[in-house]
Amino acid sequence: MSMPEPHLYLSTGPHIRRGRTTADIMWLVNLSLAPALLWAVLVFGWPVLGITLSAIAGCALAEHLACKVRGTDSTVYDGSVVCTGLLLAYTLPPGIPLWMPFVGGALGVFFAKTVFGGLGYNIFNVALVGRAIMMATFPVEMTTTWLTPGFGQIGGVDALSGATPLVSLTGGPEAVEAAIVGLPEGMSEGLAFLLGLRPGSVGEVSVLMIVAGAGFLLWQKIIKLTIPLSVLGGALLMSPWSPDPVLYMLSGGLWLGAFFMATDYVTSPSTLKGQIVFGVGIGLLTGMIRNWGGYPEGICYAILLMNTMTPALEEWFRPPRTAPKGTPS
Amino acid sequence: MLRLFASHHGEPTFARGGIHPDEHKELSADHAIEPFVPRSVTVPVSQSLGAPSVPVVKKGDRVVRGQLIASDEAGGVPVHAPVSGIVKSVDRGIHPVLVLDMAITIEAREQEDEPTFQEQPGWETLPREELLERIRVAGVVGLGGATFPTYRKLMLPDDAEVDTLIINGSECEPYLTCDYRLMLEQAEAVVLGAWLIAKIIGVPRCLIGIEDNKADAGAAMTAAIERLALDRSDHPVAMEVVVTQTKYPQGSEKQLIQALTGRLVPQRGLPMQVGIVVQNVATAFACLEAVRNRKPVIERVVTVSGRGIHEPKNLRVPVGTMIQPIIEACGGFDDEVVKVLAGGPMMGRALADLNAPVTKGTSGLLFLTRAETNLDRYQPCIGCGECLDVCPLGLEPNKVSQYVEVGRALETEEFGPLECFECGCCSYSCPSNRPLVQFMQVAKAAYRHEAAKQRTHA
Ligand code: SF4
Ligand code: SF4
Repeated sequence: MSMPEPHLYLSTGPHIRRGRTTADIMWLVNLSLAPALLWAVLVFGWPVLGITLSAIAGCALAEHLACKVRGTDSTVYDGSVVCTGLLLAYTLPPGIPLWMPFVGGALGVFFAKTVFGGLGYNIFNVALVGRAIMMATFPVEMTTTWLTPGFGQIGGVDALSGATPLVSLTGGPEAVEAAIVGLPEGMSEGLAFLLGLRPGSVGEVSVLMIVAGAGFLLWQKIIKLTIPLSVLGGALLMSPWSPDPVLYMLSGGLWLGAFFMATDYVTSPSTLKGQIVFGVGIGLLTGMIRNWGGYPEGICYAILLMNTMTPALEEWFRPPRTAPKGTPS
Repeated sequence: MLRLFASHHGEPTFARGGIHPDEHKELSADHAIEPFVPRSVTVPVSQSLGAPSVPVVKKGDRVVRGQLIASDEAGGVPVHAPVSGIVKSVDRGIHPVLVLDMAITIEAREQEDEPTFQEQPGWETLPREELLERIRVAGVVGLGGATFPTYRKLMLPDDAEVDTLIINGSECEPYLTCDYRLMLEQAEAVVLGAWLIAKIIGVPRCLIGIEDNKADAGAAMTAAIERLALDRSDHPVAMEVVVTQTKYPQGSEKQLIQALTGRLVPQRGLPMQVGIVVQNVATAFACLEAVRNRKPVIERVVTVSGRGIHEPKNLRVPVGTMIQPIIEACGGFDDEVVKVLAGGPMMGRALADLNAPVTKGTSGLLFLTRAETNLDRYQPCIGCGECLDVCPLGLEPNKVSQYVEVGRALETEEFGPLECFECGCCSYSCPSNRPLVQFMQVAKAAYRHEAAKQRTHA
């Protein structure tokens, strides 16, 4: 019997893989971000969808061009740039002019990712660098284009003048009261913040929606609780310095940051102890920036600051060896 | 963290890392072991780790089954004629591990004076030295794939304090079912072999580790232990089957020792250091045949499987059987096949072509199609930490890979390449498909090279 000689591939083992690719993970993360976006569309109207698409488009364009210049296959479809775009959009005020997220996304990807060599080599959270660039470039729009949330107003939402409510959390209880406007009548502040019926950035207003998405990621074992709990714990430690600890814990993008940004694989440490130090550090810095510095969305800078420590934390905190040291035999 | 409550009915396993690949054992698990004898065999003279054996036959010689054809006088292990017949050549052939090596080709012919390997009376009471000698001359090696000469492993130094023999029936590699079938079909022989080994190393206790996906094999072994009642023999041994969780690499020595006894073999150390000797079930069976029947290792059970082979089987074939006739015996294969492996899909070796023989260490021949294997490209590390979570030893293959990629292999020792036993859990799990085992090998080779350089300059 003559047999066809197949074309055989050679390699070292293992010859099978688990099958969950980097792209699979990124798209699952994107999926887990969907509830927050749906909520934002519901309470702030269609424009937030525009903001999101604009941010994604900016990120994707920069990534695509980078791949072209480098001469590699485009990595636009690996889900990672879409994730960056989503996260960037989620940190923006819902009334921002539509072209600005595009610029922020493109510049963020270029400065935080491309120049470092692409996915896996970046040091800073790409979405947060994009946001920082926008804060410096469009300071007025980034701090004043808030909308009043509400259902049934998908066509047109009331613009809210003045700063984000959280700015005033530094000014004492009266200032807090004065600043919190646009909440549904008769609803407690805590509940409004939990549900997301309050003014704020696109994707961070509803703690509930963020936790729902995070629950999905935990279930899928894409993230572990270590970093988010450490961030929330660190922030809690700083709550005595806040005029309203409940609102402090429920606002300012704390939950979005803790579950979706601080957990970014590339820019966070990978060992248990390293992750705890990293997370607690973010929580403490967030509290400091917000309570003492008066900067409402302190977590963005807290994460970027701790990103700089990740290489050192990787060096200091190593996984424990299973077996004791022995005499080589 | 969330795993806390999923402890598989409290069955033991190793403490750290490990993976749960798809088993695919159903392809061949229910096929009883079938004998298969080819028309000719090509036996590599190097059948164990270490020096090759020296051929003692020449072209044209008539040999009978079981006759010595290569001796261990210069190292290696004795090699015997797997079939009776005429020596066609003593030449360079292809070896699945060493690629090119001396091999003896025998054309099978019925011989009248063929030994039948009957049971030899009185074997139970032979002294230890005689037992060891019979195992040595039979050319028994670790049949789990390691192919270390068994008599050397059983010849413990005088100061060794060993109290337990572990018999490895884990067979944790996906697809493979040869040990499973052996335990089901030859439970008593395996148990007797284990008892012999316990007697040789002088221990009163023997634990047989079997994963819970082979519960029926475990039951067969337990029944055999009860029937044989070896705890009341002239060398009493308390024997016990321990059913472990099904988790790869449960069958690796150090992980099995931890699961069964809680003892941790030191880094780069040997089981002996914690009072344990480990032997595979097929090796125990071979030891029994070597002692009781004076039958050398001339055949072995091979799982032939994979989606690419038409009739998966567990075949008992003479050592030196070429892959081509095995394929024919298994109904041929698909043109979808992209990889042929000697061994399991985690640690097995990909073969360059089908012109290769079964050796004493070949536990499986797998014909994998595109859909069931991995030919994907790899990407940069995204720092997910998955490889750290699954490494049973707590090594850092991610770091090693990154250092090796930028040409700094000699700065990786602290990340563990020298301890890595290449189980492949890390590569298997990496979402970026990084060939982490290969990076570990590169680092290991760099250190070996460096050490050799130091020696020549010293
Ligand atoms: S192959 Fe080496 S580094 Fe990878 S999991 Fe196994 S022991 Fe750890
Ligand atoms: S599993 Fe792969 S991507 Fe994840 S840390 Fe390890 S090497 Fe990097």
